[in-house]
Amino acid sequence: MSADLGRTPRSVLVSDRSSFRDEKNRLSSQVEQLHLSYKVSVLLPECSSAPAHLDTVFNSFNSFYLIRKLPVYELLDKHFLESAVYQGSVYGLSYRMRIDEDSCVALTPNGHLSLSLDKDAFELLGVEGKPSRFNHRTNCRYVVSVDLTDSSMAPGGRGYQRLLTGLRSRLQLKTDFLLSHHPGGGASLQALLSRYDWSEHRPEISSHTLTHLSCPSMQSCDPHSFLEWIGAVDADISCENSSNSFLSSLVCPEPNTTLSQALRVSVCGLLLPQDIHRLIQQIRCYLEQPRLASWVSLTVHGFADSPVSWGGNEHGVLRGGENFYSLLMFHDHTYHLHLATGAHDTCPP
Amino acid sequence: MEEALIQAKISPELGKVLGVQPQINSKAKSLTEAFLKNSIQNQDRHNLKAMLTHKAVVLGYARPKKSKRNSKKAKGLNARQKRAMKVFQIKPEDQRYQLFLPLHELWRQYITDLCGGLKPTCSPQFVQQKLLKADFHGAIITVVRSKCPSYVGTTGILVQEFKHVFKIITEEDKLKVIPKRNSVFAVEINGFVSHIYGNKFEQRASERSAKKFKVRGTIDL
Repeated sequence: MSADLGRTPRSVLVSDRSSFRDEKNRLSSQVEQLHLSYKVSVLLPECSSAPAHLDTVFNSFNSFYLIRKLPVYELLDKHFLESAVYQGSVYGLSYRMRIDEDSCVALTPNGHLSLSLDKDAFELLGVEGKPSRFNHRTNCRYVVSVDLTDSSMAPGGRGYQRLLTGLRSRLQLKTDFLLSHHPGGGASLQALLSRYDWSEHRPEISSHTLTHLSCPSMQSCDPHSFLEWIGAVDADISCENSSNSFLSSLVCPEPNTTLSQALRVSVCGLLLPQDIHRLIQQIRCYLEQPRLASWVSLTVHGFADSPVSWGGNEHGVLRGGENFYSLLMFHDHTYHLHLATGAHDTCPP
Repeated sequence: MEEALIQAKISPELGKVLGVQPQINSKAKSLTEAFLKNSIQNQDRHNLKAMLTHKAVVLGYARPKKSKRNSKKAKGLNARQKRAMKVFQIKPEDQRYQLFLPLHELWRQYITDLCGGLKPTCSPQFVQQKLLKADFHGAIITVVRSKCPSYVGTTGILVQEFKHVFKIITEEDKLKVIPKRNSVFAVEINGFVSHIYGNKFEQRASERSAKKFKVRGTIDL
């Protein structure tokens, strides 16, 4: 498993242990700051089927919209700004554009529009931007980050006009766009959606029951091996290390016990932090009741191709582009939180 | 040259004194010839008769001297004088876009004449070749790409072209100085749009007409 260490790209892991009952816990701010999440996977030990209340939570994740070939200047449309962006709960991301090859666009709920452009696109657009922090020796990637709620970007202002003419006439950027909004926020996306080819999608839920799973003892497991084990379970890699499977030499960290059964549920799509927060609360309620198992693990993955990661910091892909956090909750309301990113990322909060 | 007397008639008095009688002309001539023939060495090589006929003998080459013209050619001003006299600066009251529109029309005619009538069937290759050596004063140019984002999109009539910058006047009557380096400009004439890569264009307009452009390096900004 340890590849040639001299050439391994760096990764950052931040671990935090606290309790839900502690007022000073920073969990909500850390969870809320990852605006654009792709996948949530939950591992429920000693459980064969999801309990009813968790099932309802899974099914009540907000649906999101996919707009095909949206010209990016439409995000600056006056009406869209007033009805959606200024209300403050619109999440958007360009779909199927690779962060290291094409130009990517992200819209976060605080009104920040981030464009990650390659060199030619940036030189054509003509709007102030900064070279990416992850350029190695030559500037090949530039980031244009605009605060749409700022007074300089008010419709009709100079900055707004410049960006609008840039996106409309100089660099005609068209991407497939994933768009979602929090229902309570009062935003209305219908005006934008009606002009283009759009489709509504529900997050995809898949669940799988695993039998005879060896799992480490959670209290004494160190973060790296725990994350490797969780990843192996999620990706369906057996940790038996039997002699005829030479593909993987992953082992379950010692000391370990064997679970007779476990349930793995994963939800994929453009997921909102509020839904994830609700899920965490429901899992806490689930853990309060006396159970065989004393822990539940929840992992939330961010998009690999998103230009922004935690708190609007720039995100890039070197080899993996992973940015995720893993929350291990115990029945006594304590938790272990691990936030991990790959090479082209800043440190998580 | 003075003429030397070779033969003279004897006056009759002198003839009486000397006791000779002047002969008649023809007899005297034949006598003189016979005498000369006897006395001169026989020069068969030279054609004596031809040599004695009047020939102009050029004694030395002497051209008539032309008077040297003392007119000095008007020497140009050097850079210090140019700056002091502010000849190449446009006064603020002259910085109006409308004033330069006739110049633009003039430039269009010049280019259409240069390319022999710019028909839509002309090959772009041919037009490009002509444009390389052409003068751009009066053209409407637009910055299409630039390493500095704030230059992108500026459009105007080219007023002055220097070695490293373009001075253009925009429609808002602003005189803008745009460096040629790291920018790509677009020039449009009759539907032909040409892109000028500023990095390769850093010569004075006068020197550019004589310059051969080589394909060297990259056109990436």
